[in-house]
Amino acid sequence: MSTNPDKLLVVNNLATTFNTSAGPLPAVGGVSFDLNKNETLGIVGESGSGKTVLARTVMGLQPRTNVTVTGSVLLNGHEMVGVSEDEKRKYWGTEVAMVFQDPMTSLNPVMRIGKQIDETLRVRLGMSKNDAKAKAIELLELVGIPSPSQRYSAFPGQLSGGMRQRVVIATALACSPKLLMADEPTTGLDVTIQAQILNLLEDLKEQFQMSVVLITHDLGVVATRTSRIIVMYAGRIVEMGTTREVFTNHRMPYTRALLESSPKVSNPSHTRLITIPGRPPNLLKLNQGCSFAPRCAYATDRCHQQRPELQIAEEPGHSFACWNPLPSKREAATR
Amino acid sequence: MSEFIRETELSQEALLEASMVERPEKNEPLGPLFWICVGWLALNIIGAIFANVLPVQSPLNQDYNFVNSAPSLHHIFGTDDLGRDIFARVVYGSRVSIAVGVGAMVIGFGIGAPLGMLAAYRRGRFDTFVTTVMYVLLAFPAIIAVIAVLSFWTPRSMFKIILVIGFASVPLVYRVIRTATLAIATKDYVIAAKVQGATDRRILMKELLPNIAPIGISFLLIGIATVVTLEGALAFLGLSVNPPTPSWGNMINESRTVLAENPWLVLFPSLALCLFLLCLNFIGDRMRSHYDVTEVKL
Amino acid sequence: MLKYVIRRLVMLIGIIFVISVGSFYLIHLLPGDPAAVILGTGDSPSNRLKLYKLLGLNKSIFDQYFIWISNIVRGNLGISFISQTSVASTIRAALPIDLEIMGLSQILAFALAIPLAMRSARKPDGLIDRLLGATSFTLLSIPPFIIIVLLVLFVSIKLGVPNIGVASYVSFGTNWIVNLESLALPAFTLAIGSFVVYYRVLRSDMIATLQEEFITMARSKGISQRRIMWRHAFRPSSVALLGAAGVNIGGLLAGGFVVQYLLAIPGLGYTLIAAINDSDYLLVQGIVLVVSVGVVLINFFFDFTINIVDPRISRE
Ligand SMILES: Nc1ncnc2c1ncn2[C@@H]1O[C@H](COP(=O)(O)OP(=O)(O)OP(=O)(O)O)[C@@H](O)[C@H]1O
Ligand SMILES: [Mg+2]
Repeated sequence: MSTNPDKLLVVNNLATTFNTSAGPLPAVGGVSFDLNKNETLGIVGESGSGKTVLARTVMGLQPRTNVTVTGSVLLNGHEMVGVSEDEKRKYWGTEVAMVFQDPMTSLNPVMRIGKQIDETLRVRLGMSKNDAKAKAIELLELVGIPSPSQRYSAFPGQLSGGMRQRVVIATALACSPKLLMADEPTTGLDVTIQAQILNLLEDLKEQFQMSVVLITHDLGVVATRTSRIIVMYAGRIVEMGTTREVFTNHRMPYTRALLESSPKVSNPSHTRLITIPGRPPNLLKLNQGCSFAPRCAYATDRCHQQRPELQIAEEPGHSFACWNPLPSKREAATR
Repeated sequence: MSEFIRETELSQEALLEASMVERPEKNEPLGPLFWICVGWLALNIIGAIFANVLPVQSPLNQDYNFVNSAPSLHHIFGTDDLGRDIFARVVYGSRVSIAVGVGAMVIGFGIGAPLGMLAAYRRGRFDTFVTTVMYVLLAFPAIIAVIAVLSFWTPRSMFKIILVIGFASVPLVYRVIRTATLAIATKDYVIAAKVQGATDRRILMKELLPNIAPIGISFLLIGIATVVTLEGALAFLGLSVNPPTPSWGNMINESRTVLAENPWLVLFPSLALCLFLLCLNFIGDRMRSHYDVTEVKL
Repeated sequence: MLKYVIRRLVMLIGIIFVISVGSFYLIHLLPGDPAAVILGTGDSPSNRLKLYKLLGLNKSIFDQYFIWISNIVRGNLGISFISQTSVASTIRAALPIDLEIMGLSQILAFALAIPLAMRSARKPDGLIDRLLGATSFTLLSIPPFIIIVLLVLFVSIKLGVPNIGVASYVSFGTNWIVNLESLALPAFTLAIGSFVVYYRVLRSDMIATLQEEFITMARSKGISQRRIMWRHAFRPSSVALLGAAGVNIGGLLAGGFVVQYLLAIPGLGYTLIAAINDSDYLLVQGIVLVVSVGVVLINFFFDFTINIVDPRISRE
């Protein structure tokens, strides 16, 4: 694969399988995508679709045992698959950092928050104690924590969820990473705080000149904040394209279902949302066909027999995996 | 918005269900070693109960032809300085250990377990009161209390030892059973039974008891092991049954000075004691991991 | 935090009160005339008078308790009518020995348990973990009185290591080398029992802690494995360890008494057993009281330390 200088991240056929006592569990099953510098990419999908596992595997942060990873991840030219933890550690924090899904569990409860930020600065950048403290307070201020020098010595338990998530973000930003993986950064928070955190991330992205992977199960979140979107289902990409294209000209029935089940500001209040019938599949017993087929209104025999691969739509960069795609709006218009 | 929340809740429920299929409870099999241990314990208990029926010599019989003799066909574990058969003494010695261990735990569980279950099930003032009392008693170091009472309450007998250790163990048993019941009493099926108007008695006996039993039994076995060790230490200190009645503890104590010359005198009672404890601990531990009661820290 | 401290202090006072009542009442467990039993061979009209004054034996039980406790508070635990020495001074002479044995054994136990538990937790079910697991499980089932007997046999008699196990006790101040030699086996015996408990508790808690999200977060910051283990995983897990240590101290007593008795080390345990054998009941009562209160205070101290280590506990 040629190394394109604009590509910060190139993921090729990445698969993550957990070896559970009940058999192999393919949480991510062969995913390829790339990410440009300064770009924000959205990854959406229902709970359990493998978003977190994908994000962690891209970083190389999967559990250390009982897991098999194949494929390739080139992060700023460095291969992250099949290398030792010592090797990957060199890039963690400085090249890529992660904002975790649940701020309630991702901070060490018995360590002062300032120390948790300090630590990265001192270990990774070799800062002195005082410099690190000053920088940590600066970071706390940057993420919008009031009276940061006092909060520096607070324990996580003394902060609200929103405040904790800001601390997590400050920690992730400590070493100015080139890529920020934000894994549902707002799921555990209430709605007013959600928007604040997302706007904060957007501002910081500009300020730090980062690329961002923004993971969510809520399409509303990514609508205005990303340039491209990946839709995941059962550990695979089922549709991928520019944000505009995915919203207006999606071809995969699952994407449509996802859109219809997400609330829109434009809807009058009390509009009934359409929920996706059925349940996400059991990854231990995937059928050989399209994994969405059992829940899909358009499914045919072929869908149950044969798995559709990603195919290119007419618009560049747009692709989808479906045997019976929804009609393209563009085609309809030209006809 | 509420619809939206319901949607996520729904899929979370689905995930939960899926994860239950994907990560089955890791109920480790009990394994052959478990059954070997059960067998060994059964052998010990049968030996203790039927010692005078079984073809075992008297533990007090002095055979002057064999004084301090090493293990032989006549005396498979050897004899002591009075020519008493060590095998017989080890078998009879198990009576004291087993009686004290089991007896004390019968008292401890007889009082502590029903109180613990009731307190956790009823909650409220009853629970607060009993729990406070028990926690104060728990702070009292049980071993020193046992030694103190035994040293003042003379003359000592096996019955008194059982009584004292039994009562001293009540707060510990109470705490374990209460914690275990609390964890289960808040589970859905118990609440459902309550809502459906099942009587308290029925819920306690049919819903709670069977679920607490594995934890209780596992703790019971480990408790017996602890009491047997304590009895051994008391015997060692001369605070348990008086010689010449053999117990594993006093046999070891009596012979430790001639350990270098006649090692079998210490070896066999020690071995019997350690194996007995090992089996109890092993069975208790296996049962705990088999029923995977991680919420209950003993 | 302050509220928590006050609540704990009230509880502590309540517990010490219960202990005092229990210790006081021991005398009344004695069969027959307690005065005759307590005085034993020292039964004379003048001693009888002294004892009646000390315990108020002819008064009501409440007055007796009041007389007794006010003597105790003033440091007067009575006089042994057997050995004619003050109980308080006997205890004062013996106590440092117990503290030293305890201290040494706990240092040894922690020094062994912490690194080994961390090692096990890093690769659960790995070869090292399995070996350590089997070893600790076996040790769990060997009572301290067997361990000490075996240690004396092998270390002192078979290997003939000079002085260990046979040196008679001298205080640390007099000759610290001989002091440590005489306490080596007792401390080591007690350390084995504690080690097993600490190792098992810390191992399982560490395994659970290492699954936590904040450990993954710490990993993602690019800090070393070593640092994650010590800085991020050990501290939350040490709460369980301290809890176990607090409970364990009380359980250490029986073993401690046995080793002192066996090696004739004149600590409280040895003194207690000797007093029981001599029917020196006032001395027994005094030791029981001091040891119980001591254990409660140590537990209180551990509780307090746990609070400092884990800010979550006092806040709940
Ligand atoms: N350590 C693990 N061992 C075994 N299975 C795992 C492990 N981690 C995740 N899984 C499984 O992988 C699948 C994908 O999980 P993942 O957490 O990536 O979902 P997600 O898309 O992030 O969902 P959510 O929106 O709830 O965060 C799930 O079925 C989950 O049960
Ligand atoms: Mg997730």
